[in-house]
Amino acid sequence: MGNRGNRPHAIGTLVLAVSAAALAGCGEKTATEISFARFFGACDADYGKLADVKLARGECGIMTAIVNQFNATNKDRIVVKPQIVEWQPYYDQLTARIVSGDVPAIAVMHESALGDFVGRNLVEPLDEGLASVGVTPSEFTDHARRGTVIGGKLYALPFDTWSWLWHINLNMMKQAGLTNPDGSPILPKSPDELIAQAEKFKAATGKPYFAWPTVNEPASPFRTWVTLVAQQDGKLFSADGKTIDAHSAAATRALELMGRLYAEGHVKTGADYGAANQAFLNGEAGIVVVGTWTIDDFLAQSKQPSSPLAHGYTVLPFPPLWGKKAVYADGHSWVLLKGGTRDDKARKAALSFLKFLWDNDYEWSRTGHLPARQSVAASATYKELPFRANIAEITSTAYSVPSNVARQRAVELAISEEIGSLYLSKKPAADVQNAIEQRVDKLLSGAN
Amino acid sequence: MSALPSALSGGLGRRLILLAVVLLAVIWMSPLLWVFAASWKPNAVLMVRTDHLLSPPFTLKNYQNLVGTSSLLRWIANSAIVSLGQTALVLVLASLAGYGFARTRFPGKRWVFGFVLAGLAVPEQAILIPLHHLFAGLALHNTYTALILPRLAAPFGVYLMTQYFRAIPRELEEAALLDSASRPKIFLRIILPLSLPAQATLAIFTFLTAWNDYLWPLVSATRPEMYTLTVGLASTQTNFAQSEGIGFLMAQAVFAGLPIFIVYLFFQKYIVAAVSGTTVG
Repeated sequence: MGNRGNRPHAIGTLVLAVSAAALAGCGEKTATEISFARFFGACDADYGKLADVKLARGECGIMTAIVNQFNATNKDRIVVKPQIVEWQPYYDQLTARIVSGDVPAIAVMHESALGDFVGRNLVEPLDEGLASVGVTPSEFTDHARRGTVIGGKLYALPFDTWSWLWHINLNMMKQAGLTNPDGSPILPKSPDELIAQAEKFKAATGKPYFAWPTVNEPASPFRTWVTLVAQQDGKLFSADGKTIDAHSAAATRALELMGRLYAEGHVKTGADYGAANQAFLNGEAGIVVVGTWTIDDFLAQSKQPSSPLAHGYTVLPFPPLWGKKAVYADGHSWVLLKGGTRDDKARKAALSFLKFLWDNDYEWSRTGHLPARQSVAASATYKELPFRANIAEITSTAYSVPSNVARQRAVELAISEEIGSLYLSKKPAADVQNAIEQRVDKLLSGAN
Repeated sequence: MSALPSALSGGLGRRLILLAVVLLAVIWMSPLLWVFAASWKPNAVLMVRTDHLLSPPFTLKNYQNLVGTSSLLRWIANSAIVSLGQTALVLVLASLAGYGFARTRFPGKRWVFGFVLAGLAVPEQAILIPLHHLFAGLALHNTYTALILPRLAAPFGVYLMTQYFRAIPRELEEAALLDSASRPKIFLRIILPLSLPAQATLAIFTFLTAWNDYLWPLVSATRPEMYTLTVGLASTQTNFAQSEGIGFLMAQAVFAGLPIFIVYLFFQKYIVAAVSGTTVG
């Protein structure tokens, strides 16, 4: 009975509370969703709830944690929603999305693909936008700036540089007498030295000097060829990016060297990408030529006492065989696609997330990729990461195919197929050169 | 001279044939067994060797990672909706069309039938872009409609049902017609029940094709919540999975194949009959 008298008071309190909550709700900002298209895989089981990027490792883990951390800590109620796609068909799907009007706000893009999308007027310039959140190209490394500035305009936020490296089994190099007294490898300085080293290596170990993918490989031969041509200061593509010259002296010398290495048994035969890495890890070859992303895995293997790599792994940039330091490189970058953000609020939210990505460039460089930010590349923290001091020079020596060369993925595939036939079916080098020019010129002539 | 052939046609011969068949089956199954075995191995081990699959270490990690994928149930549901929807609608359309071609007369029937069969010669890739534009124009991408509708044009199904209906004796229908049964009634009550083996064949082929479909869902279902299982699983692969994530890849293959395996376990009698029937037909 005594409680009955309190009922109006209780109801009044409830009404007040509900009203207050409703008013508070009106005052709150509504969440801004940003769609974020990327590859790098999904790893919810390990990192789905991790919101501290410092605790993550690997491309997938670090990327997942960056997004989680941003969503958990940003004060503007911005929610980044990842839309993850398998990386091989990523660009086909992205194009399909743009055609159907389902455009993501932010998308990852290789700098080698950026020119195509800019040429089709699909990417927003970012000079003013990034400046508004305090990011300017003056902070970018040389390679990152070259990759993201097209026609004087900034079209993407660079995130890394990834490049072609020599991952070296020091134990086998030592067995072949190819190490210095301090244990560092003696690397060739010319094609003749390379052949001589490979012969010496084979005589001492019975194994080929190199493992690199020669079977079912869409990119590796292209990247090695571009590297060798760039080291001669040669140019494969015309200034307007519309034709390729596979018959130049530099291109011919590079192709002949690659063919000779394979024909004389200095490259592991019959290996695809995975098998080439396996051959290196199993001590079946002295050096594997592959990218920055395998450093962590190879380092982990070298810590296994039973591994042929045990305490004998190092990684260095592709050595200059014709005097000039140059190595094929590309980079991941982030773009704002036209039509991807609905309004100014969404655009600001997207820029805010880009800034967050930029601020985590060091964390990303723990994947093995080189940083896109000068201050990170020069920092002691970065150089203390395993082998990073060895390869930091690549941020300035890296060479990318110019952005006015269209359809770089298709060009890469066509050239790799032709060089693959040089290895596998012993197609004469002259025929390979002709076929490369025919196929690539056709691809380039059909581009925008 | 005659002792050897008689031995071969007797018990010894049967055993030799059985041995050969088992051997061939093992050879045929070895890649599948390799996939299954690799799915229980740590990725770091497989990065180094892929030939020591039956010895430790083993791990559940690949399957844990798979099951831990947040959208997995959604992708399975999407695949089930699309596969079952496609199967049901293809059965209805192919049966009706097949019956029409087999039993009715209309001007230009042969031409229309030829036109339908010509669809068998058109590769999927050739119509992908116009199809994508069409559905984009209708704002239907990222819907079940877009995932199901393009696959309903099934010339194989129409051909299969037409041939099957043609093989059913006309006398059965004529007897029903004499009893004043209408065409729809004859179709539903007499012809359709008799065509169950062909329906089963078509259903199985359609379901398997729909479940394994990749290219069209990849470009049509571009939002993760609309991914089918094939597209969703592929999206979880790291960029260099063929080297650093082989175990996870193999677990994905096993997982994606599991529903098909279960379908086979329950319907193997029909599947075998369907496949052999098709071959014979």
